Amino acid sequence: MIQFLRQFWQNAAAGLVLAVLAGCASVSPEEQARRDRVLRDYEGGLTALRAGDYATARSDLDAALLVLGANTAGDASARESRGYFNSESVKTFRGEPYERVMAWYYRAILYWMDGEPDNARAALRSAAVQDTDPENGKVQCDWVLVDYLDGLATAKLGGDGQDAWRRAETNARLNRPPPYDPRANVLFFLEMGRGPTKYAAGEYGEQLRFHPGSAPDPVAVIRTAGQTVRAGAFDDLTWQATTRGGRVMDHVLQGKAVFKGATDAAGTAAIVAGTAVAIAGNSNASRNAGMGIALAGLLTKVVSAATTPEADTRQWSNLPNLLSFAALTLPPGDYEATVEFQSPSGQTLVTRQAKFQVVAGRDTVLFLSDRNS
Amino acid sequence: MACAGLLCGCASGVQNPSGVPVTVLKPDEQGFIAGSGIESQDLVAVTDRMARSLPGTPEIQNFNPPPPRIVLLPVENETRFPINKDLFTTRMRALLNSQAQGKIRFLARDRMTALEQERTLKQEGKVTSNTDPNVQEFKGADFFLTGKLQGLTTQAKGGVSDYVLYSFQLIDPRTSEILWENSAEVKKQSVEDAAYR
Repeated sequence: MIQFLRQFWQNAAAGLVLAVLAGCASVSPEEQARRDRVLRDYEGGLTALRAGDYATARSDLDAALLVLGANTAGDASARESRGYFNSESVKTFRGEPYERVMAWYYRAILYWMDGEPDNARAALRSAAVQDTDPENGKVQCDWVLVDYLDGLATAKLGGDGQDAWRRAETNARLNRPPPYDPRANVLFFLEMGRGPTKYAAGEYGEQLRFHPGSAPDPVAVIRTAGQTVRAGAFDDLTWQATTRGGRVMDHVLQGKAVFKGATDAAGTAAIVAGTAVAIAGNSNASRNAGMGIALAGLLTKVVSAATTPEADTRQWSNLPNLLSFAALTLPPGDYEATVEFQSPSGQTLVTRQAKFQVVAGRDTVLFLSDRNS
Repeated sequence: MACAGLLCGCASGVQNPSGVPVTVLKPDEQGFIAGSGIESQDLVAVTDRMARSLPGTPEIQNFNPPPPRIVLLPVENETRFPINKDLFTTRMRALLNSQAQGKIRFLARDRMTALEQERTLKQEGKVTSNTDPNVQEFKGADFFLTGKLQGLTTQAKGGVSDYVLYSFQLIDPRTSEILWENSAEVKKQSVEDAAYR
């Protein structure tokens, strides 16, 4: 009898391992790569933007934003990610709201660079829509630059940007944005540090959490044409990533985690009880009943093992931690600018230089980061 | 076997694993890949409506001496959707040029650089000219045609609703009067999957 049980458990364990390994590889690597394409486009677009390869940046960000703009209702990958036996990361990557906002923000910079401030404003307004309250679904955009630049574009296009400026001023935690100067024609978009990183917490990794990002150089000092402008940070991506509140998906993952824990405990109990009955049984019927209970327990354990409540920790890995902006007024001509990214104590940690041309009738837009890629 | 059978259910599969062949759609019909933004069917419906309405304006019909000459001004985009705004005026111009049979003329102000270069070449005698190149023949605008796209976005738990108002105006550049105006409006809503909320 004991020999039989030993053989049974060996076979069952082998079958379990094989089945779990085979059964849960639910998405092929090629398909998963397709579902991660937006992530690659985000990262590639930003790398290109930092390198001054604006055509590639445009192309990558446009490809990503096409996916962001599409309706997700009926998306097969999203449905799969909500299932018990697929992890959240099988869904087509779109990013958390702070990542989606950044995609639109960078695209807005490129539109502005191309002399299309109204399309830049449109992109900023789409960015604002990404920042919603998950509890009631209302827009709660508290990105200072998203509102501030919306108002600046409106003012430059002859409209009244004061509502947007007031929203920006209300949400300003780090530095107060300056009043608009519609004559300002050289716009510096600046960014510092490394953004927040995602990790999975909880017993089964079902909780999405963030390690804070960091920026040792939160101040940018711009020197050009005899002017020196000190630009502090207006937006903090760590703040944005960690203050949005819970996601609807968190409830789904919590449900998966509870199911996983409950089936695991029930399976263990059934195996122990069934095995005890099978060993202690004094008849074939009682031994068979015990074996049946143990087998049911085993199946329950398999179901538990196959349940995947892990939160999706795929992330836009080259985002900055802080965003800044400055606007200068310069007459037409050729210029050079030096931007020093400084620590709070005034020590210059990174220096960037840029050559640019100011022409009448349109804004000159410069994007400078303390990172290379 | 039971374990393997059960876990086969984990294999979620992919819909349309071989993809979908190219599907040809009419530009005025909604495709199966749609969002709540400005799409081709909106562009077609709006420009069709404007191009039907504009030639009936008394100021166009009774313009003397005919034909009236129109300059297109860039459309203003105040929505949350970045778009190539020239699509609207380009399609309206093409419809009016093809359907109005010379009753309206558009001036190619967007080609002024090339036009001026050509005139300079003629004035300098570097290329031939059938008329006196020193006589000013570039026409001035009798009317400006322009438009504006404005949007209103509403969000709720499940998704987003976007309303876009498309308005176009014919303006007399001499008096600044708005001689004709027409509008079209489109509202769309889309629901997000819970996995993205």
